[in-house]
Amino acid sequence: MKLTTGLASVATLAVMAVSSATIASAQDTLEIVKERGHVRCQVGPPSPGYYNLDAEGNWYGLDVAVCQAVASAIFGDAGALEIQSVSSQARFTSLANGDSDLLSRTATWTMTRDTQLGIDFLSPNFYDGQGFTVRVDSGITSAMELAGAKVCVTTGTTTELNLTDFSRVNDLDISNVTFEDYNVRDDTYLNGGCDAVTGDKSSMAGNIASFPVPADHMILPETLSKEPLAAAVRHGDSQWRDVVQWSIFALINAEELGITMANVDDMRANSTNPNVRRMLGVEGNLHDGLGLEADWAYNIIKNVGNYGEIYEAYMGGGEQGIGIERAGSLNALWTDGGLMYSPPMR
Amino acid sequence: MAIVTKEKTAERPAPISETSVFGWMRKNLFSSAFNTLLTLFTLYIVYLTLSGVFTWGIVDATFIADNRRECYDNSLTGACWAGVIAWFDNIFYGRYPRDEIWRINFGLFLLVLWMAPLWMAKVRGKVLIGATVVGLYPFLAGYLFAGGDKGLFMQVMISAAIVAFAINMGNMLTGLFKNVGLNTFLINLAGQSKASDKTRRNVLLGMFGIAFVAVYIWQMGWTAERVGWTRWGGLFLTLVISGIGIASSLPGGILLALGRRSKLPVVRILSTGFIEVFRSVPLITVLFMATTMFPLFMPEGFVLNKLVQVIIAVVLFNACYMAEIVRAGLQAIPKGQSEGAHTIGLGYWGTMGLIVMPQALKHMIPNIVGNIIGLLKDTTLVSIIGLFDLLGMLRSISKDVPWLGLHKEPLIFGAILFFIICFSMSKYSRHLEVKLSAGEKH
Repeated sequence: MKLTTGLASVATLAVMAVSSATIASAQDTLEIVKERGHVRCQVGPPSPGYYNLDAEGNWYGLDVAVCQAVASAIFGDAGALEIQSVSSQARFTSLANGDSDLLSRTATWTMTRDTQLGIDFLSPNFYDGQGFTVRVDSGITSAMELAGAKVCVTTGTTTELNLTDFSRVNDLDISNVTFEDYNVRDDTYLNGGCDAVTGDKSSMAGNIASFPVPADHMILPETLSKEPLAAAVRHGDSQWRDVVQWSIFALINAEELGITMANVDDMRANSTNPNVRRMLGVEGNLHDGLGLEADWAYNIIKNVGNYGEIYEAYMGGGEQGIGIERAGSLNALWTDGGLMYSPPMR
Repeated sequence: MAIVTKEKTAERPAPISETSVFGWMRKNLFSSAFNTLLTLFTLYIVYLTLSGVFTWGIVDATFIADNRRECYDNSLTGACWAGVIAWFDNIFYGRYPRDEIWRINFGLFLLVLWMAPLWMAKVRGKVLIGATVVGLYPFLAGYLFAGGDKGLFMQVMISAAIVAFAINMGNMLTGLFKNVGLNTFLINLAGQSKASDKTRRNVLLGMFGIAFVAVYIWQMGWTAERVGWTRWGGLFLTLVISGIGIASSLPGGILLALGRRSKLPVVRILSTGFIEVFRSVPLITVLFMATTMFPLFMPEGFVLNKLVQVIIAVVLFNACYMAEIVRAGLQAIPKGQSEGAHTIGLGYWGTMGLIVMPQALKHMIPNIVGNIIGLLKDTTLVSIIGLFDLLGMLRSISKDVPWLGLHKEPLIFGAILFFIICFSMSKYSRHLEVKLSAGEKH
């Protein structure tokens, strides 16, 4: 743990050193990517829902889909992609020094990161928050009833800090039982080593699904922290930033317009809705400003699907999904009361 | 009256209490009431452990399932090996394209075949065989695994490797069946056995040249599909990193150790400084510096891939440890040996190569093998910097949605794999020690 923190501080120093210097290549990432023929997209060590390896060795997940969307927008091929798995200590260094073109991994958008590390965050593609899991038969229904409880938590992240803050603010005298590995944390909880587990609600939903009897456990309604998870690019390259940002917006906009992977061909050929026609490149010249082909958004939807489809596949009830309810959450479309909102594409 | 038998009494077997299993048990396990109690108690503990492991790992375990939920449906308390089995390809080959896996197997097969003659008493030219394994095989295997366009240098090295392999195999066959080296066999075949040394050498060189040109032309029409290093992983990656580490850290270590004992101040100070710096830093720090800090100091656009950076870091790190082992071995050789070598007119390299090093290396075997085993296990650290080596793959199973949370079984499987590899290495080193010290037993 000490080692990890040490490494993290070395990495942060390195990032700061780089960000103060101007990176010559930062001006034209899009040109570099086009010349290279593929996008170098950074994810982290496998994390359920966001980026995983399947038994065939392929990457899948919500953040991987963002990488694939960007690759589709530029090359029309979701496979024109090199997925790099980078440890969380090295993630921002690896972006800043030009190893990665794009960072698409559960990174929380915070002010320090956005303003001091030489990177720019894009609009969040998932809103997460910290919560508690307890056993149903414990009778606890609110986090306020956790007074004096032992709570299992992983170290080295803000999770532990948030828990301590929460305990102090509400005078609950919670004792932290800390772990490096979340599998061990869950095992301890299952064997009765602690009364509750705390972590990001999204990952806890997945974890509960992997418990022997999922119905014996539940997530408490309280949310301890705001965790807007967003992709990031190097600071100062607006052209590249636009490409990535509008690839993500295209996913959300497509869902709003009802364009899916299945009907995108039909929509492009027959739709009379001007919004759809503009987005899919049938009329107008939206693509000019991005420096991409007219069918960039069509390729995204054709290869990856819209945001709703991606969510269903990896976060929702799909075969590879971790089963998080979307309706009523922050991740629903704005038309359904959520925060997923794309500026108009016109 | 003296009772003297002239006949020797017939030999009788040792009393049954000495030889039978029961006798042994009585002597070693049940010699007193207290020891009997201890034995029974220990047996009980062993029984508890083994039966628990057996029930969890075999009796209650699930071997065939599509996801972890099915394992639970089968048994809530047993192991779920199905997840490990479903991930076998990932565990052994990483993300290597499934259609191309034969290339890895073929590469391994080549290596085994290439090294097999080293264990055959009848085959000649073992030093040369060993040298080609270290010097040429990596190029052939490297291309086989990575594929893509061959540069001129690679074309030459690959052709040389193929020719060397063919010669090696031919040499093995002639050694086994005719009991002669390939060179003698070919000379005889060409009817030049009575010719002068020079003619014979020219005939052999000519044959080698023809073979090389033929192979060179043949390989130009053959390319393997490119497989990027990011798709390498699993046990394969672990073996590649540690294989290169092992093959280069020993020569590197020997050079560094000689440098440290050198009489030339610059060489000595540089070697000492290098060794001390790398030895005082943890491997994970070296790896981390190599992969994140190194690119910062490189000219714009210069990209060395992460695998190469990692391998360089592992080699340098282990060469330093190896250097100290070699230095210890060198110091154990009495000064009289090198003085003796000087009196018969050997220079520095002659003394080291023929007199000192062979004796020293023999003493170093246990330490060298210990270091190699350590190296193999150290390579698991690369999973921290994002390479999917064996450990990285095993840990990823618990994140794959169908097998979410499945982490004990993969790690146990990994432990068994590592045990098999490391234990066979240590057994082999023991065998090597006995064989090499045969001269000391009288």
